[in-house]
Amino acid sequence: MRSLRLFAALCAAVISLTAVPARADLKVVATLPDLAALAKAVGGDKVEVIALALPTQDPHFVDAKPNLALALNRADLLIAAGLDLEIGWLPNLQTGARNNRILTGNTGYLDASRSVDLLEVPSAPVDRSQGDVHPGGNPHYLYDPRQALKVAAAIEARMAQLDAKNAATYKANLAKFTQEVQAAQEGWEKRLAALKGVPVVAFHRTTAYLQNWLGFKTIAFLEPKPGIPPTASHVAQVLVLARTNKAKMVLKEDYYADTNARFLASKIPAPLVTLPGGTDARGGQTYVQRMELMVTRLEQGLAGKGS
Amino acid sequence: MSSHPRRHPRALAVVLAAQLSASAAWAQEQSPPSSESPAPAEDAPAAVTPEEMEEIEKALAADEKERARPNGDTSPASPTATNDSGVTPLKLPNAISGGTNFLNLSFILDMALAAFSSKEPLQEGAHDPTKNGFNLQQLELSIGSVVDPYFRFDSNIVFSQFGVEIEEAYVTTLDLPASLQVRAGQFLTRFGRINATHPHAWAFVDQPFVMSRYFGAEGNRGLGVEGSWLTPLPWYVEVVGSATDAVGEATARSFFGADAERVLSPLDFQLTGALKQFFPLSDDISLLWGLSAATGPNATGYRNHTSIYGTDVYLKFRPITSASSQQVTLQAEVLYRRRQVPEDVLSDWGGYAQTVWRFSNRWATGVRYEFGTAAKTQEGRVATDPLDPEWTAERQRITASLTYWPTEFSRLRLQAATDRAGWRASPDYSAFLALEVVTGAHGAHAF
Repeated sequence: MRSLRLFAALCAAVISLTAVPARADLKVVATLPDLAALAKAVGGDKVEVIALALPTQDPHFVDAKPNLALALNRADLLIAAGLDLEIGWLPNLQTGARNNRILTGNTGYLDASRSVDLLEVPSAPVDRSQGDVHPGGNPHYLYDPRQALKVAAAIEARMAQLDAKNAATYKANLAKFTQEVQAAQEGWEKRLAALKGVPVVAFHRTTAYLQNWLGFKTIAFLEPKPGIPPTASHVAQVLVLARTNKAKMVLKEDYYADTNARFLASKIPAPLVTLPGGTDARGGQTYVQRMELMVTRLEQGLAGKGS
Repeated sequence: MSSHPRRHPRALAVVLAAQLSASAAWAQEQSPPSSESPAPAEDAPAAVTPEEMEEIEKALAADEKERARPNGDTSPASPTATNDSGVTPLKLPNAISGGTNFLNLSFILDMALAAFSSKEPLQEGAHDPTKNGFNLQQLELSIGSVVDPYFRFDSNIVFSQFGVEIEEAYVTTLDLPASLQVRAGQFLTRFGRINATHPHAWAFVDQPFVMSRYFGAEGNRGLGVEGSWLTPLPWYVEVVGSATDAVGEATARSFFGADAERVLSPLDFQLTGALKQFFPLSDDISLLWGLSAATGPNATGYRNHTSIYGTDVYLKFRPITSASSQQVTLQAEVLYRRRQVPEDVLSDWGGYAQTVWRFSNRWATGVRYEFGTAAKTQEGRVATDPLDPEWTAERQRITASLTYWPTEFSRLRLQAATDRAGWRASPDYSAFLALEVVTGAHGAHAF
């Protein structure tokens, strides 16, 4: 009798552990948390969204953990940043997921970079002596809300294609999201108007789209070449350059090491502004909140306060 | 090991002085006579003082410790049935290949400078350094591509100094229902963790000796077919089964090995099964656990079989919830082998355990312990092993290594080992300095 009760309890535990709480119509996996936030904004309660990378993680170097393949195995739609940003880890997961829907080229695979106005597309052939140059263009485009809206529109189109019965909802969500972002964007631009033409130093080439939007100038990078960690001689050169050009800020993502950028900032001297590496989608943060945080940090940086 | 230029403060100072004077001069010319905006840098001199230089170096040293870096350890038992080499070629970027992706190529070169205390070192792996002086461990050419919507093709062709060998060449299905996947062709079986991988994915320069003793110098592989299934359980559970030819001195040593036996029934194939489970204990800690078994005929007599059982664990700590480059992995495999021989059954154990600590963005250090017991008869006496007659006592080997990655495409390794084979009068010592470069299409790293 007792063992029977124990067995029943065990069964209940297993069932409650394995049961999917609410059945979403569309299972979406996004490589980056920013893309996940956009997918959530467009999909609303009709979709379940999982991000493969954390915002605190360098998106170039993510471990291809088997549980990520499991997420892809059950996905209807995979949204990737493209431009080889995920080349070191995503292809393995795609093949290992045994889910032909999300393979490159199929409707369940969306390369978000296809809908973006690309920057820094190399005009001459590249090789790896130049560091980690992305031959298709700079992949850090979600720092610019205008590009994010283009990506959101592409996500809406794809979701509508995959899940026609909720197409109207996706369309309405996109309209709402667009309005929200555009309203916020106006405010952000006003607050950061003083950033136009301001020289800054950045850690990695993540600022291309941000500077295209806000009009500041990245005069130097702490990395001597993309993906190559700073060397002493390079930092010294950057310091000279920054002092000469009167750089106003040092920008870096929170997933990059601190000490070197902090040192440079203190020597210029200029505030060190830590940019959020992505949306904390798992913690319920939205894309607008993430941008708000970034704008606030830049604003503080302009006022001379680091973060 | 050749150290990075930045480690030589004096040389650096000279270079810097030259660079700085150049850039300072340049800076003076360039400096615009701006009058507006009282810059905070107004009073600070543009040039870098020696004290500041020292601070830069200190900050860099700290950053080295802090910064998260690629996972150079590209390893075995990937979540995928394919791409286990960790260097499987993938798409060449469109910009390079002109928009078509028909074939993806990459080359991997492994070479080592080796020194051994013994005249006949016990290095059985086909890609191990084996002699004093320079050793070409391998030049591996990986070719892969999607064939059509239903198949992808992968191959690893190895060039040694005097020959070419097809290590792997197989197709993988892309479109089977029910989370099934089939591989067919010549492939490394997915027994355990390290077997299915190529030297590029190994943390150490040489192969654990248990693999070459049980499976052969090349690891266990064969022509055959493999099916795998990703179960619908809430955590990652993969079931793998394969049937391969049981012949090959370097690839199926405990089975038919060098004997050219004829396949007379399905029992004459080597059958391999594996169960792989993954537990993401937290964002920062992951555990991969595998159980494997292989059985097949051996050459000691009619219907004599060999069975090998193994378990492998891989525990990885890599903080990703905050900026850090600390990475610690623990990997261990234990194998148990039973061989039917005329009028007896021989059994023995072997295995290894290794831990690698990536302590900064470019540096890692690791240690490995290996053991292998002598084959025992059913009565527990030491038997005369038909494959390794000299193996009459326990063998242990301890290896330490230091790795430096200039980028994720190259690494330099310094490795030292002491090999204590019970049947030799004194321990052997060895040291390697190994260089590896990967060029071509960017391979994806397996977990």
